[in-house]
Amino acid sequence: MRIKAKRKPKATIPTASMSDIAFLLIIFFMLTTVFRKETGLKVVLPQARMTERIRKSRDIANIYIDKDERISVDDKLVTPEHVKMAFKIKLKENPSVLAQLKADKRVRYGVVNDVLDALRDARAFRIIFATEYPRKG
Amino acid sequence: MPIIGKRERVEEVEIPTASMADIAFLLIIFFMTTTVFARDKGLKLVLPEKGQEVKVASKKLIKIAVNPAGEIYFGDELVQPNQIPERVKRKLQEDPKMVVLIRTHENAPYERMIEVLDQVKSVPEAKRISLSIIRAETQGG
Repeated sequence: MRIKAKRKPKATIPTASMSDIAFLLIIFFMLTTVFRKETGLKVVLPQARMTERIRKSRDIANIYIDKDERISVDDKLVTPEHVKMAFKIKLKENPSVLAQLKADKRVRYGVVNDVLDALRDARAFRIIFATEYPRKG
Repeated sequence: MPIIGKRERVEEVEIPTASMADIAFLLIIFFMTTTVFARDKGLKLVLPEKGQEVKVASKKLIKIAVNPAGEIYFGDELVQPNQIPERVKRKLQEDPKMVVLIRTHENAPYERMIEVLDQVKSVPEAKRISLSIIRAETQGG
């Protein structure tokens, strides 16, 4: 077998545009990141098959209810009365606010109902019951 | 005027950009690892306005009740959660304008109410869903 003298072409990877790509990605991540405002309470969400993704993350205001029936809005423990006041203010600032109710699955429905009543009083009608997708298997 | 006549040596001015990509990727990795995708998900519902309650004839209601033990009653019958969609569908075929009313006892676990709501939501025809509470003493909401 005859071996031809190979002409070796210079192999280079063009890296000049690499930083452009990287910065583009950074800007994407910076814009899509929504910093979580509160730490909230520890809740175990109920599972539901019809769980929908909520797109407007920026318009969501969370209400936490933990299994000891404590209610928290903006990291403050509140009563249903305060929920009403808090949401009146929130709606004034941003009329398209969506109330997301993150209630523990073991909580009594009576507490949830009190919060729902407070939200209706505050005219926050569009609500979301936070749920999880059911675990498979 | 010091530089008249003096030949300027033009130095090549360069900004070293070789490490730029490294810096940028470092930042990307920082953002990727610190980002918690706040995946907001749940069941949407629009509450009725206070004082705007529409009186619905009892005949037009599909009543589902949850008692404190977490048992589910469809009308007067004890049912399993997975039987709800079929029954709701059948009722809505008779009269599509019926309203699904989920009445939950105040001591019932929230989980059960969500389970019922989930089952009802799985019926696409069921557009009108109403929530109500059964108080412990007063009986009926």
